[in-house]
Amino acid sequence: MENATPALFFAGIDIGSTMSKAVIVDADGAMRAYVVGPTGAEHRLRANRVMEDALQKAVLALDDIAYIVSTGYGRVNVPFADKQITELTCHARGVASLFPNVKTAIDIGGQDAKVLKIRNGRLIDFLTNDKCAAGTGRFLEVAAETLGLDLNEMGHISLQTDMPVKINSLCTIFAQQEIISRLSEGTPLPDILAGVYIAITTRVVKLARQLKVEPPVVFTGGVAKNVGMVKAMETVLGMPVLVPQEPLITGALGAAILARDQAFQLIQKDEYRVRRDKKLGEAIIDFGEKSR
Amino acid sequence: MVTTTTKGLSRAHEIYADRGNRARELRKAGKKIVGYICLYPPVEIITALGMVPFRVFGDMSEPITAADQVSTTVVCPFLRSIIDLGLKGKFNFLDGIVGAHTCDIGMTLVISWRDYVKDAPFTHLIDVPHTDHAPAVDYFEGQINSFKRHLEEFAGEKLTGDKLKRACELHNRQRRLVRELYDLRKSDPPLLTSTETLEVLVSLFSLPVEEGNELLEEVIKEVKERKDRPAKKKARLLVWGPVFDNTSLYELIESADASVVVDDTCVGTRAFWADVKAPYDLHALAQRYLVDLKCPRTYRQSEPGETKRDYDKDLDSRFNYIKKAVTDWNVSGAILQSVKYCDTHGYEVPNLRHYLDTLGIPSIYIEHDYSERSLAPIKTRVEAFVETLG
Repeated sequence: MENATPALFFAGIDIGSTMSKAVIVDADGAMRAYVVGPTGAEHRLRANRVMEDALQKAVLALDDIAYIVSTGYGRVNVPFADKQITELTCHARGVASLFPNVKTAIDIGGQDAKVLKIRNGRLIDFLTNDKCAAGTGRFLEVAAETLGLDLNEMGHISLQTDMPVKINSLCTIFAQQEIISRLSEGTPLPDILAGVYIAITTRVVKLARQLKVEPPVVFTGGVAKNVGMVKAMETVLGMPVLVPQEPLITGALGAAILARDQAFQLIQKDEYRVRRDKKLGEAIIDFGEKSR
Repeated sequence: MVTTTTKGLSRAHEIYADRGNRARELRKAGKKIVGYICLYPPVEIITALGMVPFRVFGDMSEPITAADQVSTTVVCPFLRSIIDLGLKGKFNFLDGIVGAHTCDIGMTLVISWRDYVKDAPFTHLIDVPHTDHAPAVDYFEGQINSFKRHLEEFAGEKLTGDKLKRACELHNRQRRLVRELYDLRKSDPPLLTSTETLEVLVSLFSLPVEEGNELLEEVIKEVKERKDRPAKKKARLLVWGPVFDNTSLYELIESADASVVVDDTCVGTRAFWADVKAPYDLHALAQRYLVDLKCPRTYRQSEPGETKRDYDKDLDSRFNYIKKAVTDWNVSGAILQSVKYCDTHGYEVPNLRHYLDTLGIPSIYIEHDYSERSLAPIKTRVEAFVETLG
């Protein structure tokens, strides 16, 4: 079959506080491969690794990639990226590519939560909670550690009740103490877990209400993988939420689509330069460098 | 005698790096240096009595360690930074300190200074009403009068009408020159960056008014003739909020492909937009500081005391000066910044954002704790905001 467009591919790489993700899309913006892995302390090595894995999955070489956009908390630490774009813009683009009518997106990651207002696929307003662990994935991890449970298991157990307890404290550390005291009072575990989910969700929804929540609402981020959280989100919002099949990669997907848009724009203006000089394996760990 | 040989922007850069330097020199030469906090102590009276007004700022790069003895962490970190520096002896070149009841913590800070810092022999607190109607202006005039009498006593000389008039004219001239400097930011790209502007402004608060005017003239000439103009950026922003005396926020914004072209802060336009009007008496000072100076600490309701709801009229009465800035400087977005725990500014934010919406100006609200470290997480939000403007 003859292909009208040349075989061009584009990549987005999202270095989050907890997880790193890479997505490769083709000239139509369709996803060819994605990879998710833990970030760890060395952002740059991690960037190389997820990129290599994604290329391998797509059966491509780096030279097949026309343009790379990096995003996320560690976006400055991707030496082979052509452009950096914030995770807010990338998430909005990624979510809108999956759900074109989306008006509100709520993303809860490992260390932050964000609420995006989207119109016609474009980010128009946003709020973030990035000063405090309450209302983030970290809160869930602390609760899981306290209870000695795995995160997934925790979600399923929470579904066994309709009587969540009220966790009054919004502070992660104080909430942990509250969980312990509830346990010692003999409160059933499902009630406590459902209460934990409601507490985080309430915190994030409070943020979302400042921007006025309009349906359809899409829920993304690592935390959206948890069934208990999805149920709590729908309960607190009072409306259904849409969750992508892979809620972790919307940022990287948006970055890849923006990479495609960017490359096409440059090609149109005849300003596109083949990225031969930017190779993988160039990650140099230099802490003396000014790259915060 | 001015010991430095640099001029214009590089001189401002030097003064910004060591604000107290010139004041220490002048003090050695026998001048009295009177520190003041916030914008409400009338500097004209200090200048007219032969003394040097010196605006007291905090230091965002200095961790607050000593202030815990005199205040808890639940109050304005900017004012805590000031008392912290005071306790560490960093303002030991001041002969006096004047504060005003701009906000509650601003007032108690002066008392704490008197009780704990103790360096300066002269301390004075001016009570400032929180509304701008006629009886409030009369009351404020009385407060300015008692400040005048107290400072006369300290200076050992009387304030004559002539001296006050001359001082008002000097300060008005400074205000006019600053407005002229701001005009140079109306072009696209602006002829000077917000960082350069702030360095000049902070210098003005650190120098006698005549020397400040001289610096402004040098800077204006230099900027008009400069070849190395700032780069054109994607967005033209207005920055709003309480004191911002450190270039770090402006550097952060300008690194995100945006130029800050105008502001509504008390280190910028608020300090220099209103002149003292003839006949340059105490009533004119009261009018200038309480009515013409626009800071959220004074509530500018359209009908004073009226409780019937006329939201749009009130919004207009409180914020219409911003509309002019938005038009004149061709602003494409606004960054509202505030320091943590500032209820004075916090109260304004939802209404102001609404007002900016009606003008079609997108805005973002960011909060920091008056430390350079607390600005890092803001970077992503500022960048994303600039991306939404594209």
